[in-house]
Amino acid sequence: MIEYILKLIPAMLSGLEITLSIFSLTLLFSIPLGILVAVGRLSKLKPLVKVIEFYIWVMRGTPLLLQIIFIYFGLPIIGITFERFPAALIAFILNYTAYFGEIFRGGIASIDKGQYEAAKVLGFTSAQTFIRIILPQMIKIVLPSVANEVITLVKDTALVYVVGLGELLRSGKIASNRDASLVPLVMVGVFYLALTWVLTKLFQRIEKRYAYYQ
Amino acid sequence: MRKKSLSKSIILTLIVVLGMFVLGGCGDKDVADKNKDPNAALKDRGSVVMGLDDTFAPMGFRDENNEIVGFDVDLANEVFKRIGIEVKFQQIDWTMKETELKSGNIDVIWNGYTITDERKAKGVAFTQPYLENRQWVITLADSTINCKADLKGKRVAIQNQSSAVDAVNAEPELVASFAGGEPVLFDTNNEAFMDLEAKRADAVVADEVLARYYIKLRGVEKYKVLEENFGEEEYGIGVRKDDVELLEAIDNALNELREDGTYEEIYQKWFAE
Repeated sequence: MIEYILKLIPAMLSGLEITLSIFSLTLLFSIPLGILVAVGRLSKLKPLVKVIEFYIWVMRGTPLLLQIIFIYFGLPIIGITFERFPAALIAFILNYTAYFGEIFRGGIASIDKGQYEAAKVLGFTSAQTFIRIILPQMIKIVLPSVANEVITLVKDTALVYVVGLGELLRSGKIASNRDASLVPLVMVGVFYLALTWVLTKLFQRIEKRYAYYQ
Repeated sequence: MRKKSLSKSIILTLIVVLGMFVLGGCGDKDVADKNKDPNAALKDRGSVVMGLDDTFAPMGFRDENNEIVGFDVDLANEVFKRIGIEVKFQQIDWTMKETELKSGNIDVIWNGYTITDERKAKGVAFTQPYLENRQWVITLADSTINCKADLKGKRVAIQNQSSAVDAVNAEPELVASFAGGEPVLFDTNNEAFMDLEAKRADAVVADEVLARYYIKLRGVEKYKVLEENFGEEEYGIGVRKDDVELLEAIDNALNELREDGTYEEIYQKWFAE
């Protein structure tokens, strides 16, 4: 049994590589983009607000799986062709940016107007106010929701199978089909659990670090 | 006022970043050219991409070293060696196979791919058949189901998007008599077999080739195969309809393999009883 498990590990690690690549690159892009979306959504430019509202509606209103299929199989019809990995990644970034944007918007909106006024009195520019006063407070507020979203992302990466990328769950399915055994799927579950455990601990530490006023 | 200029610069950044994405994607010339000219001479292509479902043992799947192996894979390696072009194996989601082929992401579907009229209508051209196959009905050994008519009121599990679904649907009255009026569809045959073993499903309809593999793995004594089946069919290799050169090249190579005994060798390796 242990021998069998050890045999399965290399294939799973190569699946894990895809899973982690999608996961980390999605976060790397969608968190900063999410902040931009949130700021745009809160701006006074009506057309921009409408566009962002539409974008968020589409991204949250359709399944991520459908969005991946659309970007990989649909866009070539109008002449935009992506390779498998970039196509999946773009879909993930677009989708998660929308969710992060809404989380950040809530965070920014919840910050008291007095903070802006105080910053103005102290002579901060609006960029300074946002980066040094608003953003740090927003991060504190949104951390638990972001942690939620990040953990969901770990598991959502399994959707990239649809464009033929061999991620973690797929590697388990392959072994399960080959050996007619449930063991590989149990192992996949353990891998996901380990990943979310690491992330949970990480966010606990970050939350502690940001709890400086409590 | 200041606040406005901030959001303006942010918008600008957003546009630039998104623009870079789009440009980056368009720069991929290889893919674009391949889409436009699928008829380029075979040698100019250098390589063909063969799409397969890498969960599909024993036809094409991954072994413990994560290498793609199987009957179809051995055969394809031999065929493309004779044609003199490189073959690249690309795992695909089986439900998307015709879309992958049509969009030029892959050039060949070769993975226990049954020749059906429905698939021909989707723009797939098939080579000569290279393997015969039957649609078996498999039950647990102690089942009371002994012929197709006994499937009335029973739950029948099948792999989604497989030719077994088409074969079963060719007998609509029988399908209507199943519990729920339709078969229960699973992502893989393995899941269908697990459902059977969990006694939620009463029977599985699957390709003989595949069923043999699973029955051998899970224990011959556990199962019963009905004498009646859902028809015989043939596996072929699918290419785009306008890809005549590739089709002919594969057909010729297959003939060669049969004549010099290589086909038989590969067959024995995977299907010897």
